[in-house]
Amino acid sequence: MNGRVYLDHNASTPVHPEVVAAMLPYFGERFGNPSSVHSFGREAREGVEIAREQITNFLRVSKDEVVFTSGGTESDNLAIKGVAGVRGAGHIITSPIEHHAVLRTCQVLETQGSAVTYLPVDGDGLVNPDDVRRAIRPDTILITIMHANSEVGTIQPVDAIGAVARERGIPFHVDGVQTFGKVPIDLDGFGIDLLSFSSHKIYGPKGVAGLYIRKGTKMVSVQHGGEHERRRRAGTENVPGIVGFGKAVELRAREMEAEATRLTALRNRLWNGISARVADVRLNGHPTRRLPGTLNLCFRHVESESIVLGLDLKGVAVSAGSACTSGNVEPSYVLVAMGVPLDWAMGSVRATLGRLSTDADIDYVLEVLPPLVERIRSVSPAAVS
Amino acid sequence: MNYSETLIDHFRNPRNAGIMRDPDGIGEETFDGCGDLARFYLKVVDGRVADVRFQTYGCGPTIAASSAGTELATGRSVSDLLTLSERDVAAAVDGLPAERLHAAQVVAGAIRAAARDYVARRTGARGTEAKQHV
Repeated sequence: MNGRVYLDHNASTPVHPEVVAAMLPYFGERFGNPSSVHSFGREAREGVEIAREQITNFLRVSKDEVVFTSGGTESDNLAIKGVAGVRGAGHIITSPIEHHAVLRTCQVLETQGSAVTYLPVDGDGLVNPDDVRRAIRPDTILITIMHANSEVGTIQPVDAIGAVARERGIPFHVDGVQTFGKVPIDLDGFGIDLLSFSSHKIYGPKGVAGLYIRKGTKMVSVQHGGEHERRRRAGTENVPGIVGFGKAVELRAREMEAEATRLTALRNRLWNGISARVADVRLNGHPTRRLPGTLNLCFRHVESESIVLGLDLKGVAVSAGSACTSGNVEPSYVLVAMGVPLDWAMGSVRATLGRLSTDADIDYVLEVLPPLVERIRSVSPAAVS
Repeated sequence: MNYSETLIDHFRNPRNAGIMRDPDGIGEETFDGCGDLARFYLKVVDGRVADVRFQTYGCGPTIAASSAGTELATGRSVSDLLTLSERDVAAAVDGLPAERLHAAQVVAGAIRAAARDYVARRTGARGTEAKQHV
């Protein structure tokens, strides 16, 4: 424990020092515009293309199948609007626990004449591939299901869903922002046609992400302008960001497997420790089909924000499942879709581990969390009555 | 979110938390759409508050404002508490961010309800106001 404990890696991660070092020249002497013909431009172009290669090698796809974007949100928007734009409108299949970048994009398309089916999820947050099959209509143009949910970490059976999509010839988009670089993604084996993936969740810089587009996938562009990214995404490339992203992926390729094993063990130790020390606590998400570092808990009779504040005062950063804006507390829509009862859902807290996490961090949390929950419960009328 | 040192102190070390046996007045307030709930118990001697207890379910600011509210109420006359304002409670925690003003609203409402309950009991009105929401 170095003074502060960061347990919010699903929100963002610190940029790896080697990534920072790789980026620096592209703010300085290699500042050129990759579209320029001269040597300055060529140097910048080289940086972008090396990064593309690092990423396409990792994904085992060809270089013209990855488009750089400004973030996971843009990747999701491009994938969904890009496919929907080919026919103007149609039927889309998704789930209610997708990231807002997917949900709100689908909602906008609904106002423009598309129909959207939001498949139910079970108590662990899983989509049933049979439900996907049953939801398909003659006018279904896209299936978009996330690989893993950022709040609870449940990993969807994207291979089985992809098989259904492939069998029916429907493009399959996967929001892989939370899994890319954390768990293996077999694009061919899973039958994925479009994959959104992001840099700042895997120790790369913010403001850069990618979209894998399988060769032959029919799409229109969403952002119009120059000829960048094979006319699929106009706008001068974020060269330092892309260079850093490439480096981050190269580093992840080396450590992903060992890190997943380490984080799973740490996370399980945290959960076992908490459940042994605190009463009325439940684990959200699938017990095993879950992101290695993700632990989402509900403390009954406790409002999540009071735990987040209490832990923050102890130097521990976690996130609240329920969001309070202007005095309106909304329980997490993910937990609600999973059928978590309201009196539990209001007390949900997410701890997400990553490269920074150590055994000492877990010891510290196990030391400070139980008395905090006890104190908050001791003033709560719900816990008493 | 930036909170005052006073607020943090009340959150960390809540004063006068817990249930009170045989109170002279009980009041409760909830906040719609938020689920926050504060309950205040008063012990009154010669028209003044001699002891206060609270039980609160809510976010950090609501717990802190409840604790500060007990200090605010102690020693005050019941008639003062009947008109206690949100602003009084917010001031007792050295201010609240705009998005957390509901904390003061819940606490002020619960204290006023407890004062009204005391008055109602004194004047022989039936029942308590514990469940009444302003």
